[in-house]
Amino acid sequence: MNRSRGKIRPPRRGLATDHVDFDEYWEVLAQSLREIYAKNASHLSFEEVYRNAYKLVLKKHGDRLYGNVKKLVGEHLQMVAVRDVKPLLPSSIVTGDVSFGTATTERRTVGTKFLERLKFVWEDHQLCMGMMKEVLMYMDRVFCADRKIPSIYVACMGLFRDHVLRHPEYNIGNALNSVILDQIKMERDGDIINRATIRACVYMLEGLYETEEELEDQKVYLTSFEKNFLLASEVFYQREGERLLRDCDATTYLRKVDKRLKEEYSRCHDTLSMLTEAKIMKVVDQQLIDANINDVMEMEGSGLQFMLDNDRYEDLKLVYELISRVDSEKRSLKKKMCARLVAMGKEVNRTVSTPQIIAVSGADGAGESSKASATVVSEEKVANNITLVAIRWVDEVLALKDKYENIWEQSFDKDKGIQAAMTRAFTDFINDFDRSPEFISLFIDENLRKGLKGKTETEVDVVLDKALTLFRYISDKDVFERYYKKHLSRRLLMNRSVSHDAEKQMIGKFKMEVGFAFTGKFEGMFKDMNISEEMTSEFKRLLQESDNNYKKGVDLSVQILTSTFWPVGGGGSSDHPCIYPPEIRAIRDSFTKYYLDRHSGRKLDWRPDMGTADVRATFKGKKHELNVTTYGMVILMAFSDLAPGRILSFEEIQTITSIPEQDLVRNLQALAVAPKTRVLIKKPMSRDVRLTDVFAVNEEFSSKFMRIRIGVVATNRAETEQERRDTDEKTERYRGATIEAALVRIMKQRKLISHTELVNEVLAQMGSRFNPDITMVKKRIESLMEREYMERAEGERQVYRYIVSSLMALPFHLSIILVPKHNTETTATIIRPSSVPPTHKFRYWLPRPSPFPSPNTMVSFHTLHVQTYIPSFSSFLIQFISGIYMAFITKMG
Amino acid sequence: MTTTTTTTTPSTQDRNSVLLVSNDNHTFILRKSCVMISPAIKGMLDKKSNFEEAQFNRVVFKNMNGVVLEKVCEYFCYHEKYKDAVDVPDMDIPPELALELLMVADFLCA
Repeated sequence: MNRSRGKIRPPRRGLATDHVDFDEYWEVLAQSLREIYAKNASHLSFEEVYRNAYKLVLKKHGDRLYGNVKKLVGEHLQMVAVRDVKPLLPSSIVTGDVSFGTATTERRTVGTKFLERLKFVWEDHQLCMGMMKEVLMYMDRVFCADRKIPSIYVACMGLFRDHVLRHPEYNIGNALNSVILDQIKMERDGDIINRATIRACVYMLEGLYETEEELEDQKVYLTSFEKNFLLASEVFYQREGERLLRDCDATTYLRKVDKRLKEEYSRCHDTLSMLTEAKIMKVVDQQLIDANINDVMEMEGSGLQFMLDNDRYEDLKLVYELISRVDSEKRSLKKKMCARLVAMGKEVNRTVSTPQIIAVSGADGAGESSKASATVVSEEKVANNITLVAIRWVDEVLALKDKYENIWEQSFDKDKGIQAAMTRAFTDFINDFDRSPEFISLFIDENLRKGLKGKTETEVDVVLDKALTLFRYISDKDVFERYYKKHLSRRLLMNRSVSHDAEKQMIGKFKMEVGFAFTGKFEGMFKDMNISEEMTSEFKRLLQESDNNYKKGVDLSVQILTSTFWPVGGGGSSDHPCIYPPEIRAIRDSFTKYYLDRHSGRKLDWRPDMGTADVRATFKGKKHELNVTTYGMVILMAFSDLAPGRILSFEEIQTITSIPEQDLVRNLQALAVAPKTRVLIKKPMSRDVRLTDVFAVNEEFSSKFMRIRIGVVATNRAETEQERRDTDEKTERYRGATIEAALVRIMKQRKLISHTELVNEVLAQMGSRFNPDITMVKKRIESLMEREYMERAEGERQVYRYIVSSLMALPFHLSIILVPKHNTETTATIIRPSSVPPTHKFRYWLPRPSPFPSPNTMVSFHTLHVQTYIPSFSSFLIQFISGIYMAFITKMG
Repeated sequence: MTTTTTTTTPSTQDRNSVLLVSNDNHTFILRKSCVMISPAIKGMLDKKSNFEEAQFNRVVFKNMNGVVLEKVCEYFCYHEKYKDAVDVPDMDIPPELALELLMVADFLCA
């Protein structure tokens, strides 16, 4: 067929011209719809019904059809509500009595029946509406879409909401809510309910909307049911929380909460809607966890403290998990756990300090000089005890750490925040205990001297790492450094160290941890030991070469200690007076000459209080080698030239040797009191050495051993009270200087800086060494201002300005201050370069005492720190200036 | 395409085919899958609602004669054949039937 020639004809049976009588058609249609309700669709011809609706819509009767259908459905639903639903309404709900007044089982049956009926009615409605929607499809597609009105299905769902759930007489919706809530309450109380039925009813509520736009957040479920559910749950859980708090211990409480959370989850999953999950969880979180967790953790005998003390990993895990739900920071858990940890730590601190306090106070109570020996003895004992106490303390702290680390790993999911809090807690109580640096150093000392003997490298590593762990917590690292230096020096000088490898390993660890600045001195000490060894052998070789008469009698080995590395007390031989026997004096002088020839400008200070000596002695024809202290040797030598049986009094010995009284007492005690090494006898025989005692050689002395070590009563490893005070004082002084150096460094860099900034910078710079006291920093600032290193900036009170010396500002206009030996009579000579015009204003650089302890430097340039810290152009200048100065001095004689 | 123009009513029990009958008793047997593109016919054949049509797999269209229904069936098959193809040839529509077909298409929502 050729399309172009064909004509478009009107439809053969023009429907447009047919007259359609609405009522006639509607009657047929209505009958069909009723049939659908009556489940008689199988007798209906879809096509016929569809065609009828089609015709009505086509003939512009759409709105009447739409209205009539709604009316028909509405009437049907009203009838259903009265006929089917109403009889099953739980009677008491209608009257508003919430408690129903009947037994649970009965209530459950009644409720379930009601729910089932409602479910049935709803499903029937859905089914019929589905069919009607199909046959009225043409209306939906053409009429509803045209008019932009809700489809008939949506409209009829709204009718169900209005005519059934919100029936004006019987409040079926409310009854539904109450029944569901009642059933949920039964389930929460442990009954079994028909979840599927409730689920179906919830589906219904979820399928209904407040408006015909069917907005997601306007579901009837959300608007009418969920609100009530959450409210009821809140009340329920609030009561539950109170009840559990009253009746249960912490563990049970936590378990119950956990169970409730799981229940609510499965309830949302199986019974209600997942829409509610987050909301109901929040209710439980708030009512059971947030509101009560603090009380639970504080429960006596089962709370957090109990769990921590008894390693209840499971329970702690639960606490952690539950708290994480309400607080991602877990603040209360951290706070409580740290409080307990600190308490435990302080308990450890307390147990170790108590016995020793008693001992020390006893020692202090002892008399003065007459009882000096007693004081010495008890103090020594205390010192020995302290080593044991220190080891116990370290062990206990480590045990505490292990314990909490385990808890952290097993229960707290390795939470970073909690770890930080734990570290803080350890830092707190370890630093709260002012002897912790000493104790940790003692612990290392003990292990390096004895504990590590025969251990493998890995085991050594473990022990050292433990020590390092504690070291990390110490904020006053400088104090630790001081102690460690002291203990290390004792190990090195007395050759007590088990292995140099282990020592080096330990220092390596420190270096990794806090850097070279910290370990520099330790390494210097090792270097000194090596150099000393070389020097001793060199000296011996020279001695043998030069002097053929070199006697084998005295064999000298020297340890030369750089005074800044070693913790040796103040210099000067006057502090350590000792009159050496001539043989010793000779070799001493010869070494001094040897050394000073090689190193001019140095000074040697002999320390008899630190050395040891081997002495050969013959008792009853038997030769012994006695290993004694240098002082001990000097004392024994005093007896060696005497006739047998001759006695020396304490005072006589003191005169001969000029050994300080305390050292003398200590050494005589070793020689004359200690039973196994009694080479001298004392009269009267007693345990103490008194100033009135007299001594003689013990001719009867005998021993199985050839070689006998006669140690001074204690190697005095831990500090006594007095020493401790000294150490503290030293630390203070040292810190003051360090802070000043930092202040000047910062000022120099920043020129103008506010007070807060300055203090913060200092704190930051010092942080790795120790925690400076703010008042100390302030005092140092004041002091520096007094000495004109800095001043307050004009106008701004809280701002400091660095005072630039003319030396720094005009490096080519030299102005030098020469400070003669005594600062008191300052004579200043200013060398002014001729290039400077006479009008040029000089800012005279006044001499200021250096903030650095440098007793041997005559010239104290205040800019010395430049040289110390920032090698720069200025440092060369200073060298240059020093050169001129030296030349000047030489010239002047 | 299986079109017959018999006046008899074959009682086909084939679940996968459906009988479409015009008002002048022309019967067309089509695969069900073809006709389902019309939501109206789909509703008629819905087993769940179980109307008369669904029970007998037979739909009588009171408002279509054989010629029109034949064209409708042709369209169903045309659609089935080309639904996934490219370069689809035009379907031949006789102009004189065009308006009538348009109305029918509207009726069937297709």
